[in-house]
Amino acid sequence: MTRNGNTNRVLAVLTLLFSGLAVAFALRLWGRPVVLPPIPLVDPIFTNTATARVSLGLLLQTHGDTSDYDCYTCHDKKEPVKLKLDDQGNVVLPKEHSDLVMGHGSHNRNNNCYNCHDESNLEALQTRDGRHPKLAESSPLCGSCHGPTYDDWEAGAHGRISGYWDRKLGPFVRQNCVACHDPHKPAFPPRAPAPGPHLLHPIAQAAPPQERNP
Amino acid sequence: MAYPPQSPAGAPTPGGEGQSRRSFLRTSAVFASGLAALAASLAPLRHLEDYTSLELFMQKYYKELTPEEMAKVLQRIEREVERQYGVRPHVRDLKPMNGVEFAYAHNLTRCIGCRKCVHACVAENNQSRTPEIQYIRVLRMPHGTLDVDKSEHHYDPKLVPEKGYFYMPVQCQQCKNPPCVKVCPVHATWQETDGITVIDYDWCIGCRYCEAACPYWARRFNWTKPSIPKDRLNPDMAYLGNRPRRQGVMEKCHFCIQRTRAGRYPACLEVCPTGARKFGNVLDPNSEVAYILRTKRVFIQLKEDLGTSPRFFYYFDV
Ligand code: HEC
Ligand code: HEC
Ligand code: HEC
Ligand code: HEC
Repeated sequence: MTRNGNTNRVLAVLTLLFSGLAVAFALRLWGRPVVLPPIPLVDPIFTNTATARVSLGLLLQTHGDTSDYDCYTCHDKKEPVKLKLDDQGNVVLPKEHSDLVMGHGSHNRNNNCYNCHDESNLEALQTRDGRHPKLAESSPLCGSCHGPTYDDWEAGAHGRISGYWDRKLGPFVRQNCVACHDPHKPAFPPRAPAPGPHLLHPIAQAAPPQERNP
Repeated sequence: MAYPPQSPAGAPTPGGEGQSRRSFLRTSAVFASGLAALAASLAPLRHLEDYTSLELFMQKYYKELTPEEMAKVLQRIEREVERQYGVRPHVRDLKPMNGVEFAYAHNLTRCIGCRKCVHACVAENNQSRTPEIQYIRVLRMPHGTLDVDKSEHHYDPKLVPEKGYFYMPVQCQQCKNPPCVKVCPVHATWQETDGITVIDYDWCIGCRYCEAACPYWARRFNWTKPSIPKDRLNPDMAYLGNRPRRQGVMEKCHFCIQRTRAGRYPACLEVCPTGARKFGNVLDPNSEVAYILRTKRVFIQLKEDLGTSPRFFYYFDV
């Protein structure tokens, strides 16, 4: 055979070899990656920085609907509102205030409206020591009864400060008590948790939760 | 009598040059398909640019980069991110601030285990969504124990908190004495002067020694190519922070370098609805963390006995 024939044969073998490799890569015969089921993206409600509650202060800032806070659209400025109490001494609310759920402290310890609201001016608050904070600036009111918590709050240990930890570099916001606590029923309400972790291996994902730890 | 010639005189005889043309065609066809096959068989190299580029390959060690070289590196990263995600990011190289040592304090009395911190962290730090990489793991612990072996992190009730349990989020503890740094064979992870243990994703070789050394399971490995939807990419990036990672490198919580070294609170703190998370400069006596370490009676460092000395403190409000 000629040299030419030899070259052709070698070329043919190489061609076969490379075509084989090409087919193998195209079909991904090796190292075919496990296709993971796509994990659904998390609902943005779990990544927003909103506080648990919309307070009057926030409504005023964002120009929201503050009609609930205009006491004197229904009440008369000259006539103090008398509390209606039942036999146990609990406040009986009219249907106009049915959206208020009272429950401040165990045994309704702090349900008397005028512990906080000012009977002579419903649009203000009153503390036990005679201060009259505005309705939108209620944290000092809470502090008048919850001294130690208030101190922690001022130092930043209770509640939340948002923005800049370095006060030289930017602004910060100390969230008010009522941004997290409903003044009428202040216990922090339970909420739905965000989705838990998914596992890397689809097989492991199918296992019952007890066997998936850690 | 001779037959009249079938072809004009002087024409090549069949089989003469015709033969050689056919063989030429055959040879070149074989050659061409051979080349095509070679090219096709090299197909996997097409994805090489996802792993490295010449610039990345030639890049110097982070601590040896001059400011001009760093500026070039940051531009390269911005280009790469734009090519991959179609979003031009802003990548910075933020250095530790003078007179600042970070600490984190977590109030176990307040935490309700809602996992908002987990997902805010993922969004802020451009973690892979499928497969899922999360820096924070929230452990649900039965009351009356601090034994992490009794914890569960796949809890999934309708509402949290559940009766009889408390919740303990675990993330990188930013140890003063970090075992992960000691085992890294290439110095791709180290502790900075503000206390943050960082990773250079361009220097990491993916050996995962650090993952094995960490007693808090805080380090995560990119087993496959991370995937982040384009519209969820956070374009505010830092070199040692939340810039997108490649397959084959480690990552972990870095106290949101891109935020905290610019004076802001970390994302997990900003999103916490209960205010259980506290962060700041311990060297500043007026900071929240300094106040907490000074006034709160009970605080623990997780696995204190190992001598890692975490900068992440857990405390109870009493
Ligand atoms: C939609 C109309 C409306 C608005 C707005 C309103 N109230 Fe009333 N409120 C009533 C009615 C009606 C009653 C029951 C009749 C009464 O005692 O005058 C009542 C009763 C009360 C009582 C007595 C509760 C009891 O024992 O029955 C208090 C205290 C009170 N309101 C406070 C306020 C304050 C504070 C505000 C503003 C922040 C306010 N209200 C705004 C309609 C309103
Ligand atoms: C612990 C203090 C406290 C007590 C007790 C209290 N309030 Fe209030 N109340 C507040 C504060 C503070 C606000 C403003 C909340 C905000 O900023 O969102 C408010 C807001 C309101 C509002 C307007 C907003 C709304 O939620 O509709 C009404 C009406 C009201 N109170 C009625 C009453 C009545 C009636 C009682 C008694 C049954 C009562 N409050 C008892 C502190 C108190
Ligand atoms: C007049 C005093 C007084 C004022 C003002 C007051 N509280 Fe209270 N608070 C109490 C009492 C009393 C309890 C019950 C403590 C207990 O049961 O052990 C309580 C309990 C609580 C609790 C515990 C949860 C619960 O329901 O047991 C929270 C949270 C709270 N208050 C928040 C607030 C906030 C926020 C404000 C301001 C809007 C406020 N308080 C204003 C007296 C007050
Ligand atoms: C960022 C949200 C947030 C803010 C702001 C906040 N709290 Fe709380 N607070 C909580 C949570 C969460 C709890 C735990 C409540 C629970 O377990 O029901 C709590 C608990 C309390 C308790 C119950 C006692 C205790 O220690 O468990 C009191 C009292 C209280 N807060 C008062 C206040 C006062 C007063 C302010 C404002 C000066 C305030 N809080 C601001 C989130 C907040």
